[in-house]
Amino acid sequence: MKKFVNDPRQFVPEMLTGIQLASGGALDYDPRYNLIYRADAPNDNKVSIIQGSGSGHEPAHTMIVGKGMLDGACPGDVFAGPPVEFVYETSKLLYSPKGILHLVNNYTGDRTAWEMAKEMCEADGMKVGALLVDDDVAVKDSTWTVGRRGVAGNFFVIKATGAASENGAELEELVRIGEKVIASVRSMGIALTSCTPPERGTPLFEIGDDEMEVGIGIHGEPGRERVKLASADEIVDILLDAVVGDLPYSSGDEVALMINGLGGTPISEQYLLYGIAHRKLADQGISVFRSYVGEYCTSLDMAGASLTLLKVDDELKELLLAPAEVSNRIF
Amino acid sequence: MTDTNDDVDLVLRTMARTIVDNAEEFAQLDAVAGDGDFGFSLRNGFEVVGTDLDSFDHTSVGALLKKVGFVIAGKVGGVSGPIWGTAFMRAAAAAGERTSLTGPELIEVLRASITGISQRGQAELGDKTLLDALVPAVDSLEASIAEGFDDGGVAAVQKAADVAVSAAEATLGMLAKRGRAAYTGERSRASVDAGATAIGVILQDISAAWRDSRQGAGQ
Repeated sequence: MKKFVNDPRQFVPEMLTGIQLASGGALDYDPRYNLIYRADAPNDNKVSIIQGSGSGHEPAHTMIVGKGMLDGACPGDVFAGPPVEFVYETSKLLYSPKGILHLVNNYTGDRTAWEMAKEMCEADGMKVGALLVDDDVAVKDSTWTVGRRGVAGNFFVIKATGAASENGAELEELVRIGEKVIASVRSMGIALTSCTPPERGTPLFEIGDDEMEVGIGIHGEPGRERVKLASADEIVDILLDAVVGDLPYSSGDEVALMINGLGGTPISEQYLLYGIAHRKLADQGISVFRSYVGEYCTSLDMAGASLTLLKVDDELKELLLAPAEVSNRIF
Repeated sequence: MTDTNDDVDLVLRTMARTIVDNAEEFAQLDAVAGDGDFGFSLRNGFEVVGTDLDSFDHTSVGALLKKVGFVIAGKVGGVSGPIWGTAFMRAAAAAGERTSLTGPELIEVLRASITGISQRGQAELGDKTLLDALVPAVDSLEASIAEGFDDGGVAAVQKAADVAVSAAEATLGMLAKRGRAAYTGERSRASVDAGATAIGVILQDISAAWRDSRQGAGQ
């Protein structure tokens, strides 16, 4: 697999340097902790929100730091959660008198490090809230997790809590909002190919040209089953059945619908999937309040896509529509 | 039973030395079923504890143990850092502002550590982890303290250390349910648990140091 890379061990720092330089001064970079953070953070008038999982899922989470979103992101290496030190030091650097919110994806390594860091922060007298994202309906336990995995639905947790935090909401309020999003969001993905970590240089797993992995995780960990490649219509049916079936939606419900590319799927195919999903939801009486198409949470260069549904109410609608800025812009 | 500046330091110094001296051996035990980094990971933290102990805050047992917990959590990679770091931080919280600990207070502190390890590692007795050596050792020490002693605890500490070694040996044949070793399934029965073994070795060294300090030897 060909990649744009110098020394594979410098892959993450060199990427983070690029993010910082491209931000036009909006973001700062602290190489000691792989930390990308808002140049104006911490802000005494808002709760700080930080996240950090493995690298390799960009734009999550380092590219969604900005106004109305994350205050900072401190990822570990590719597909490895950050060490305790990154989380603890980041919390200290970005701590606001209103408190700090830790957004954690449900993977064993991430959880252990973030829980430990939270305990250290609290021993220092900091006020810390934590949310555990576990939106993937594919499998209960995977190679990497106890319980469900946190995948693309994470974006909505950031968007809602980020908007509320920008409005001055207190830490307890952010935890309540975040928990509401987590309770209302479900995702599932399908992969057509494996992915290739830069340091490894070869695909993580073998998959035939005529096969697809249903319920894939975002690190190449297996999902529900390996089946014959199906048509786009059939794939959307598989994803919608799993997601809609897990969180009982009913006719008249409004949702945010996300089709997320896993890193190696062209945007054209993502829009094709989106159109099919949008129509099929309408057939069930479920209307799309807001659409999200593109790369939100990837798995390096994996060809594949995930579908995320968020059931929205008036409060969540307002938070989704609130303005936000990230440096990853197109205009 | 313990005084911050002498006994707690003695225990920490001994622990640090034992872990640094045995890093290779502990790593080899871990390599059988785990990922082989346990001994070296732990050494990264305890090297700093051993070197910098004098500069740590000694105003109370809690302050000292908190600093040790922070160093270990910060320097030790993998899951060992959070687990051993939590052990010291929970001990610190239980010890609080005290500048010395009575026998029952020491047990309370050790029990808080055990609870922390259990929560952080999501492990219970019988899961083939360090708890399988640590819990019986603390049980033994608690019983000895309840009975009372007039030798400064020398026999009690030695008995707890012996219990830990036997318990660690008894992890041979157990099925690993936590950590990397759990992935090897039935094959994990063929080896002892590295963490439990380390607890046995550490306690034996602490016992020897305790005896020397109480009998005025080795000075």
